[in-house]
Amino acid sequence: MRRAAERFVPPIEITKELSLPKFLLQTARKYGNRKVAMREKEFGIWRPITWQEYLERVKALALGFVSLGLGRGDKVALIGQNRPEGLWAEMATLCVGGVAVWLYQDSLIDEVQYIVDHSDVKFLIGEGQEEVDKGLAIKDRCPKLERIIWDDPRGLRGYDDPILISLEEVAKLGQELGKREPKLFEELVEKGQGDDVCLLFYTSGTTARPKGALLTHYNMLKMGQNMMKVDPCGEEDDFVSFLPFAWIGELMMSISCGLQAGFTINFPESPETIQQNIREIAPQVLFSPPRIYEQMVRTVQVRYLDASRVKRRIYEWAMRIGERIADLKLAKKPISWWLKALGSLADLAVHKKLRDHLGLVRVRRAYTGGAALGPDHLRFFHAIGVNLKQIYGQTEIAGISVLHRDGDVKFDTVGTPLPETEVRIAPDGEILSRSPCVFRGYYKMAEETANTLKDGWLHSGDIGFLDSDGHLVVFDRRKDVMTLADGSRFSPQYLETRLKFSPHLKDVWVIGDLRPFVTAVVCIDAGVTGRWAEERHIPYTTYAELSQKAEVRSLVAEVVRHVNRSMPALARILRFVNLHKEFDADDEELTRTRKLRRTFLEERYHEIVEALFSGATEVHFDTTVTYEDGRVAHSKTDLLVMDVPGETG
Amino acid sequence: MYLPSGVYHETYRADNAWWQTTFVRAKMALLVVLLLVGVPLAGNYPLSIANVIGYTILSALGVQLLIGYCGMITLGHAAFIAVGAYVTAIGMLRYGLPYSVSMVLGAILAGLWSVLFGLPSAKVKGFYLIMTTMAAQFVTVDFIITQYVSRVGGRGHYFSLPPGTITIGPWVIDTELKVYYLMICLVTLCTVGMANLLRTRVGRAWIAIRDNDIAAEMMGVNVVRYKLLAFFVAGVLGGIAGAFWISSLYVVSAEHFQFSWSIWIVGVILIGGVGSLHGVIFGSVFVTVLLEALKFAVIPLSDAFPALSTGFLYIKEGVFGLAIVLFLLYEPHGLAYRWQQFKNYFNLWPFAY
Repeated sequence: MRRAAERFVPPIEITKELSLPKFLLQTARKYGNRKVAMREKEFGIWRPITWQEYLERVKALALGFVSLGLGRGDKVALIGQNRPEGLWAEMATLCVGGVAVWLYQDSLIDEVQYIVDHSDVKFLIGEGQEEVDKGLAIKDRCPKLERIIWDDPRGLRGYDDPILISLEEVAKLGQELGKREPKLFEELVEKGQGDDVCLLFYTSGTTARPKGALLTHYNMLKMGQNMMKVDPCGEEDDFVSFLPFAWIGELMMSISCGLQAGFTINFPESPETIQQNIREIAPQVLFSPPRIYEQMVRTVQVRYLDASRVKRRIYEWAMRIGERIADLKLAKKPISWWLKALGSLADLAVHKKLRDHLGLVRVRRAYTGGAALGPDHLRFFHAIGVNLKQIYGQTEIAGISVLHRDGDVKFDTVGTPLPETEVRIAPDGEILSRSPCVFRGYYKMAEETANTLKDGWLHSGDIGFLDSDGHLVVFDRRKDVMTLADGSRFSPQYLETRLKFSPHLKDVWVIGDLRPFVTAVVCIDAGVTGRWAEERHIPYTTYAELSQKAEVRSLVAEVVRHVNRSMPALARILRFVNLHKEFDADDEELTRTRKLRRTFLEERYHEIVEALFSGATEVHFDTTVTYEDGRVAHSKTDLLVMDVPGETG
Repeated sequence: MYLPSGVYHETYRADNAWWQTTFVRAKMALLVVLLLVGVPLAGNYPLSIANVIGYTILSALGVQLLIGYCGMITLGHAAFIAVGAYVTAIGMLRYGLPYSVSMVLGAILAGLWSVLFGLPSAKVKGFYLIMTTMAAQFVTVDFIITQYVSRVGGRGHYFSLPPGTITIGPWVIDTELKVYYLMICLVTLCTVGMANLLRTRVGRAWIAIRDNDIAAEMMGVNVVRYKLLAFFVAGVLGGIAGAFWISSLYVVSAEHFQFSWSIWIVGVILIGGVGSLHGVIFGSVFVTVLLEALKFAVIPLSDAFPALSTGFLYIKEGVFGLAIVLFLLYEPHGLAYRWQQFKNYFNLWPFAY
């Protein structure tokens, strides 16, 4: 693997006076026009933006916000894809002393309204027409909203609501103000303190209404610093920003690590080209939730299935060698010289090419966090020579608290705590953590804050334990852990991630809490399974029909049986049903970060759950589907319940 | 175009660069070393074959432009090669001009001559255009050159070029090796010129005409003008080929520029790949080497079958015809496509797409 020189960034003391905008000023002065701060792929090339330009854009916008009446502590909501303009607007908000609230771009109108209203947002900054429409739809119900600012003019010609203003005009206002009061910007930035709140993150709660976590400049800066104490990033590194800024991990990398390490942030051309754009840039650092890695594995597995027999044999051989070496390495056992030699051969023949296809040629460290990634996925990446590490953390601790160290990765743990971070296990098994990055509390939710934050200890709601090496093992969400028939506890998430290693399965929901046995609801992957069916000349018209095909059901049964083999007897899945649709965040079945909302699912699919445990072979299901524009449709489906062959119930 | 992971550009200039990766640059450096040092070390016989290949490339470039990039089939390209050869020879022998100046003159006149026969392309397409290009062949070579031009200066040896006649400044081109270097220069110049021309507005207009002339016209391409421009450039390339070829001849004669050569170079691009510069080079190398190999195959048999050596010309043409038929059947996109597939195999390894 090619390793870029890792330039050590001298540790900067993070004082209580330091804020993100002050840091931006320092970094921009240090690099000026000599270094590229960010790139955006537009019209086929990666257009560079230097640090000086970055600062000037931020300055213009910040002063523009001031002339529109933004003051210290005012909230600005941002919604849109990852684009430089979004980051500039956010930085500008922070420079004025405001608080940035990022929303998921695919949020439904009701969600937008709830957050905008609850957080007392003054300005809503949307990327284009879609966001402006959402803003206009909610403005009457959100009296505190004063301005809606847009960036992309496409489709906005006929919009003349006086609440609207373009980002360009805001910048122009700012430049005029800058000419009249040239010192104003620096004064505003000077006023900022480390303990000021800078970000308000609405956590996509798996149960209740979203809660807004308040994070300060000090939280964010400390987070980046502590993380880079473990894994330094260099100023020559490239980072691709493609995950929603509403996710703490992305902002932590772009804002906190980005400013401290001075690496270049690259913005993809469009959501459709992300994979290809990552491949072009070949970043040194990758930080993603598991679904990105799951998707990568799925891509490889599907292409492998379509390759010729000879290529498949070579691939299988190389993967076997890679996995053997990865297992030995992770177990810290010596590797014999001939296995090393075979490893180099396998690397040359297959792994190198795989890394090239996935855009991981330069990756020094890839991180996965936010949800659980299956051990099979982790093994896959280590086998092809990618240093994939688990992280664990929450929005409430500004990102992460626990991380694998290089050379000390274990498939079933999430690693050891960061510097200045303490992790302990409460008597009831809950994971507690304490660090300078722990948040201030939930906005306007004193009760929830008191429940989560006790004596500075953040209560995560996750169950876990520390193993003999001091690694943290995260079992599952406390409320998700299931109690099997014999009273032992088991993590449904573990079963789900294992099952999802099959490219045919997109989502799995395992049910078994306080039940006589374990069952599952499976969402097949439309693309992969559809292609599989086409190759076998299995006709189908819709996802619902495909999912109920006998061949598809036995395909899933085979996957389940395979995973069952490595499970304790009581945790084996005995019955499952293929759902007629994929889980979707718009139907509130998943959170925006694609975590299952189990209580909601149990309510919504109680008929299916009953059928799974009653021994019925068929379930008639009446359902509603919510489209992205809020329309609701009804559909009726018959689902067939499958018994997993070879298992007795 | 395939690029390995980690190659990205901040400017359009870099995005359009020919060679973007170290691997490609190393490959091209190797090719240059091979051509400038490797081949010359191989001796006179391989050099002479290389020169024939070079001549075939220069001849076929213009044909590729007309057929492969502008969609106009031509069967009279030897005529423009002949114009280039004769004008260069007359310029040197009759007016005492230096070789290089005569070459430029020959190229330009060949281009203009080509435009003259390209004029019907404004009105006619397909089979009818083939007829007019064939007319160029017969009018130019069989009528004007054979009947009039070759008699300039009286019958006999007026167009003979004794060794030492052809010089560029103090550089006397009198050996196979010197001809080879001249060939390398010209082939490089013409190929690079063509490759770049095809990336400009002009090249894109040609390709638009090839793909659909009516659509091209709708998009504001002046079809007639660009077609004539294509004929001009093709003629110039033919003229350069002719001017080059006399450097390895002792006498210029109409027999070198017969209809069969026109057909031959069309066959070369069919085998190499229509619409590809790689195709011109692959086709030229393949056909020339194939025929040389055939010669070696025939020589040991000629004692037993004397008819083989006496009828070699027919065998040669028969094999060439067979090669075209087989290519059209089994490799209709030519060698260039196979090369692309070969590269893809490694680029996509270990997958199929």
